[in-house]
Amino acid sequence: MNENLFTPFMTPTLLGLPAVVPIILFPTLLFPTSKHLISNRLITIQQNLIQLIMKQMMMIHNAKGQTWSLMLMSLIIFIATTNLLGLLPHSFTPTTQLSMNLAMAIPLWAGTVITGLRFKTKNSLAHFLPQGTPTPLIPMLVVIETISLFIQPMALAVRLTANITAGHLLMHLIGSATLALLTASFLATSLTLVLLVLLTILEMAVALIQAYVFTLLVSLYLHDNT
Amino acid sequence: MPQLNTSTWFITIMTMLPALYLIMQLKLLNTNYHFSPLQKEVSNTQVFNNSWQLKWTKIYLPHL
Repeated sequence: MNENLFTPFMTPTLLGLPAVVPIILFPTLLFPTSKHLISNRLITIQQNLIQLIMKQMMMIHNAKGQTWSLMLMSLIIFIATTNLLGLLPHSFTPTTQLSMNLAMAIPLWAGTVITGLRFKTKNSLAHFLPQGTPTPLIPMLVVIETISLFIQPMALAVRLTANITAGHLLMHLIGSATLALLTASFLATSLTLVLLVLLTILEMAVALIQAYVFTLLVSLYLHDNT
Repeated sequence: MPQLNTSTWFITIMTMLPALYLIMQLKLLNTNYHFSPLQKEVSNTQVFNNSWQLKWTKIYLPHL
């Protein structure tokens, strides 16, 4: 039962070769580029969406923060496409792998912290002590703030992993329960309805990407701009 | 949990790094956002002085 339930989350191999390599690279195929002045509809829609997202996300930053816009745009597009492709049946979602999410979260968070420390040292260090704390509490509060700082990349990675994994597991369980109850066909319809509702709610995996990039963004904002 | 099987972590991370940092960013860099010609302002209107600018007169009146 355990092995059967978690097998969608094992990195796929095909005849001993890692099939995870083309699976991770596949979302990049879905975004064609074109040098034409007026491209086809797919490219135009994608470019308009990217422009919309970029304006929405990078509006709150100053000029220095906006140098990160390419990185953040590619991040949100990559995670959104990967998560949405994972909603197809029998597909493998790379963002369920803790390895990939850690490798995304830690360098980006470290980049924001180091940027803040390099260019605004006093300001970024001052984040460790909120204003107006009573004097006896200061050492404990610095420790607490340091812990909360270092837990940020872990939280980013584990949040993404856990949410996508839990959603996929739920869909798997409810789908198999629906099939099992098909013989006693009274509850089957209600369960399929629940599955459908859960699927649409899981489309808010896209909202999770928003959460991912947004939290990264907030961190960048705080470290760069005060 | 199969996600904690660290033997596959290397290949996953190594694949994600070029996919995210190289290919996606190259695709985004190759998008051209051009201004439509109706909205573009005429930005190269010089303020013409009434008197001749010196560089013009220098050509036609080299002794001045």
